[in-house]
Amino acid sequence: MKQITIILSIIVGLLTFTTTYAQTKKDRDQYEIQVDGLGCPFCAYGLEKKFKEFKGIKDIAIDIETGDFSFTYPAKQPLTMETVLAQVVKSGYTPNDSKITRYDGSIETNEKSEEIALQDVTSARLYVNGMCGMCKARIEKVTTAITGVASAVWDVDTKMLSVKYDPNKTSESAIEKAAAQVGHDTKGTRATDEAYDNLHACCKYKRAQ
Amino acid sequence: MVVFVVFAFAKAYAQGPPITADKPIMLGGNSFTTKTLTEIRNTERGTIAYIPVMLHYLPTKNSLVALHLPYTTYDLSDVSGSGLADVKIMGKYQFFRKDGTGKTFRMVAKTLQTLPTGDKIDVMDISTGLYSGYYGVVAGLETLKYGISGEIGYNSMPNGTLDEFRAKLGFGLPLLKPQYPNKQLNLYFEYNSVWLHERDWYQLLYSQGVQYALKNITFDLAVQLPLVQEIDANRALNYSIFLGTRYTF
Repeated sequence: MKQITIILSIIVGLLTFTTTYAQTKKDRDQYEIQVDGLGCPFCAYGLEKKFKEFKGIKDIAIDIETGDFSFTYPAKQPLTMETVLAQVVKSGYTPNDSKITRYDGSIETNEKSEEIALQDVTSARLYVNGMCGMCKARIEKVTTAITGVASAVWDVDTKMLSVKYDPNKTSESAIEKAAAQVGHDTKGTRATDEAYDNLHACCKYKRAQ
Repeated sequence: MVVFVVFAFAKAYAQGPPITADKPIMLGGNSFTTKTLTEIRNTERGTIAYIPVMLHYLPTKNSLVALHLPYTTYDLSDVSGSGLADVKIMGKYQFFRKDGTGKTFRMVAKTLQTLPTGDKIDVMDISTGLYSGYYGVVAGLETLKYGISGEIGYNSMPNGTLDEFRAKLGFGLPLLKPQYPNKQLNLYFEYNSVWLHERDWYQLLYSQGVQYALKNITFDLAVQLPLVQEIDANRALNYSIFLGTRYTF
């Protein structure tokens, strides 16, 4: 009987903890910002330290190779996109694409709202060679910067870039050329040796002959 | 009156990393860094130990003020003793920044005001007992693969003869894969060049440094040796050893 009581106590305790934890996670907003200027791990420390001024911040994660910075914050005292981006600037760095996933599932982004009518948008999947998360950040950054590109998402495993763009403003070859200019070979455009050599060591993918 | 002159050119500003040079990165507004970078300098005139306590504060993301409180002990051919060295007050302002993914290029204006609080033993950068003001520009490119920093400036000593042109060049090379929280082992290759036009002295020094860094603390070790010394033979630098740590909070 004593053993059963102990086991039941443990189960109840675990359930209570799990429920509390789930509740805690549920009541928090998720913030994701791509930050430029993190040239060394100390820079990341400076960024984290500045954001710890927001009392209640948790789950801080920084990938210095991609500049991906994420954290959670209590939904009861939500931070605005402007506040978050301003804090990155106060830290001494440059914020790029940012996303806030509110506890209720709604999403806010700071993506530029291009005037592209839905009927004008074309989707394409382009092969872009690369290796890692740092490649992903670089490829997506350079391609989304092209006028006429509404979105660009590169998959590390398949090496395919899913892109939506306005064909009146840009083209697949222009998108491939942009990726090649920062060192990534595509099906139609090969990067120069110089651009490839400038890639970070972890980004040195195997090139086709 | 006999003026006792000691000269050695090693620089130990330690606004780093890097170790003996400088770089323009600032770690966010409203933060403090405490540092020490002990220098043991051996010259033809004798040995000097310099032990500063440095407090750096960033009131904004673009500005820094710092106070360096140094203690020195020296055993020179013509004088020996110990006590407070020249206190220094530093100011920096970042006026240019260009960021990219995993890299940044920045430029800062810098001034270093040296107060006449030390003994008049003419040990440059440590204890001269004379006021001097330094004005310069620091620029640096920091990436996850390497770091390059450069500095150029002029130090003016109105009541002395240590007016000088300074130039520094530093290269940093991380030996471990970049990761956060930090765990770094960095090599530094640093060159310091000084021309004292009033004395017609010139010196070029090379420093080899290694640094172990964790999240907000570093441990630094460097050896500095002369490459070129066109100065009085009895003032020549043999070597300097730097041992330091810095903590940011």
